[in-house]
Amino acid sequence: MKHNGVTRFSLQNFLGPIVVLIAVTYFIGGSSTSLQLVTQLALCLFVMVLSLQIFVGNSGVLSFGHGAFALVGSYTSAILTAPVNIKDNALSMNQLWEPLVNPQVNIYLSLLIASAISGLIAAITGSLLMRLNGLAAGIATFALLGVAYNVFFNNKKIGPGSQALPGVPLITNNWHLLLLAILALVIVYFFNISKIGRSLRATREDAMAAPSIGINIFRIRWIAFTISGALAGLAGGMYSHVAGTFQVQDYYLEFTFITLSMLIVGGSASLWGALVGTFFITAVGHILLMMEQDLPVFGIKVSIPLGSRAVIIALTFVAMLLWRSDGITNGKEFSLPKIGRK
Amino acid sequence: MALLEVTNLFAGYGKVEVISGISFNLESGKSIGIVGPNGVGKSTLLQAIAGSISTKTGTVTFDGKKITGKKPEDIVRLGLCLVPEGRQIFSGLSVKENLALGLTGRQNKKGAKEIVSKMHDLFPVLSTHENHQAGMLSGGQQQQLAIARALISEPKVLLLDEPSLGLSPTVITDVFDRLKEIINLGTSVVIVEQRANLVTTFAEQTIVIRDGKVQATLTPADAANSDSLQRSYFGAGK
Amino acid sequence: MIQSVLDAISLGGLYSLAALGLGLVFGVMRLVNFAHAELITIAAYTLVLTTQYPLLVSISFALIVTAFIALLMEFTIYRRLRGVNPAIMLIASFGLSTVLQRLYELMFGALPKSAVVAPFLRGDFKFFGVSITISSVITIVLTITILLLMGYIVEKTSLGLQLRAASADFKTARLLGVRSNRLIGAAFALSGVLATFVALILVIQNPQVSPYYGLNITILSLVGIVIGGIASLRGAAMGGFIVGVVLSALNTLLGNGRVYAYSWLFILVLIILLVRPGGLLSKGSELERV
Repeated sequence: MKHNGVTRFSLQNFLGPIVVLIAVTYFIGGSSTSLQLVTQLALCLFVMVLSLQIFVGNSGVLSFGHGAFALVGSYTSAILTAPVNIKDNALSMNQLWEPLVNPQVNIYLSLLIASAISGLIAAITGSLLMRLNGLAAGIATFALLGVAYNVFFNNKKIGPGSQALPGVPLITNNWHLLLLAILALVIVYFFNISKIGRSLRATREDAMAAPSIGINIFRIRWIAFTISGALAGLAGGMYSHVAGTFQVQDYYLEFTFITLSMLIVGGSASLWGALVGTFFITAVGHILLMMEQDLPVFGIKVSIPLGSRAVIIALTFVAMLLWRSDGITNGKEFSLPKIGRK
Repeated sequence: MALLEVTNLFAGYGKVEVISGISFNLESGKSIGIVGPNGVGKSTLLQAIAGSISTKTGTVTFDGKKITGKKPEDIVRLGLCLVPEGRQIFSGLSVKENLALGLTGRQNKKGAKEIVSKMHDLFPVLSTHENHQAGMLSGGQQQQLAIARALISEPKVLLLDEPSLGLSPTVITDVFDRLKEIINLGTSVVIVEQRANLVTTFAEQTIVIRDGKVQATLTPADAANSDSLQRSYFGAGK
Repeated sequence: MIQSVLDAISLGGLYSLAALGLGLVFGVMRLVNFAHAELITIAAYTLVLTTQYPLLVSISFALIVTAFIALLMEFTIYRRLRGVNPAIMLIASFGLSTVLQRLYELMFGALPKSAVVAPFLRGDFKFFGVSITISSVITIVLTITILLLMGYIVEKTSLGLQLRAASADFKTARLLGVRSNRLIGAAFALSGVLATFVALILVIQNPQVSPYYGLNITILSLVGIVIGGIASLRGAAMGGFIVGVVLSALNTLLGNGRVYAYSWLFILVLIILLVRPGGLLSKGSELERV
């Protein structure tokens, strides 16, 4: 039976994930340069998985198109913050449309603009798509991604086309990224416990019964979709400032698969599931990477053949699905183990 | 040993237990009616026996063999066939094709032509509409198709789930007349019905189910006494 | 002009075969097998790596290998996912697809493997003074043959009857004796056969086989199934055909803008889905809970 999620504010549900985030950022993100990069990437992915959780997790409607919002967000933030001389002179940017060359804004302002634009696009497309269910919704949202990818891949007037946009300024401070992640978490948390969140989850099980109890499915899905689009844009934007670049291929099929996996492996019904899924898969990926490079993991050295890492990650994922189809967290929110009570 | 023995059966959906310890025996050549209010688990009982849903505990023995836990497609081949609630004919397929599907469950691959022709005799409507889409038949005709389709596998035991559902009184009489003919020909039958009076008059035993358990067992004589029927149906003093 | 029409029809035929392969498994299991792409890929690899044998032998190898892998998918993974939430099945098939892609990369390397398959099918010939490619004609002939064969199997054989019944109502089909595991296995094996022929047609024109070879056509086939109507095999084939024809037409008509052919295709798909969510063969809006 799917858990309907928590509906009242609960301090442990709310603070638990935040504390875990802070701990991970501090202890792991601060320990070495390679781990710092991994943590930063994980924080961006976490925001992305949150965007999926707020829509897919609550409504039960699969979206294969959120990569489009991340793409647009990343692009917006990158193009607004890349140095003017790069936009003017870089080989990949030589056809850039003139008005895009000069503007250059502060990183955080660009993130705000990126989220706003992604959210706007989500609002517009959502107004058309939110009446669809099931496979039709999946294909329709994928069509969004397909269009975004196709356009950005081939159009050199608006961006670097199939190549990378270099020189995007980096966010080096872990805490800034952490704060953005916490911001996203807070938004998602309060949405999930709100009346809209609850109503949306009610439609997840039975879309036909909902209108009879006064729920306007279309409207609440649309709201969730819009917010999730904005969050995806934020995630994309964050990522561009961690990777230092914008590249269209980073937001297509593999990205879609990995982020959906993180959501489902962790447990799509809860915020805590989004967190667990993201960090679990990131950790597994990183450990396997170290094993591929013959580096010791927690003092033990295990070697795996080059190239097998990718197979093992995918296998792990499939195995997780077979074992725990409701996700590692079984759809529950964070809670401290009950000691001494029965 | 009875042809079909259900012993202390528990079954349900997921965590929800619907039938809690039902037992009954069906002797060869006899018929049993199962009645009770809506939602008590009558359908669930038949589906559990036929293997469509899994049982939690308890056993079902058919023709001396234990069939609990077997797949429905294997149980049919042993000679026990369920006509599901709502008939569930394949509306997109023709009448002929629906019948042909019934052949899939036959143990004896020979004699297919004979049994189909026998069904045509028993249910003339099948001949007249042979190539029509099954979805275009009336409710009563679909019910006949569903029964014929089940009989094609020549089962020793036929389970019927609410055959009267959605049918008008004259059609019901027609369907039940044919059912009685089938019983006369030797098939043992278990009929689930919400409308008790349809089965109580001819079934050797009528089992009343309430809250997932057997409440009472009636004979046709008891059924004539409407007082005892009502009491067992609604539960005196509860 | 005539060549363009032939190209459109042959591409449509190719995509309808691909969509039918997907549709067979979807019909009985309500599962979108993303790993169908990897069936096409392995068939392509087999074809390209066995060119030293006569063509028919090569095709036979490919048929056996692909059907085997298809059955393996069912036995190892999909059998354990019976009755699981459809979204999970979808993601699992995505995962399986990825596993196989990586596996191919490990086995064959990331660089494309290539060889000329059926060189006698390259080139043009003259028909009433017009030059047309042999491959487009052969593709059309092959496609029609296979579609007719499939049509026969589905409409006139016992297996086909069971497939149609199971696609409509698996539970009741089982109550009549349809063996679920065998039927699903048959569906997978058949989808493997179809994948092999899709690979054959692809490889004749593009013999550069990489681990991602079958991905593009599978995604578009999936699109085809949904716009054709997920409820029927006929719809799947038709939807695939439409996608192929539209794609080919866009390529021809858009000239320099042809890089955006996919965008136009996807926009068309969006419009179709908004107007007919159940697919073109359905009647208005259907709330199919997939």
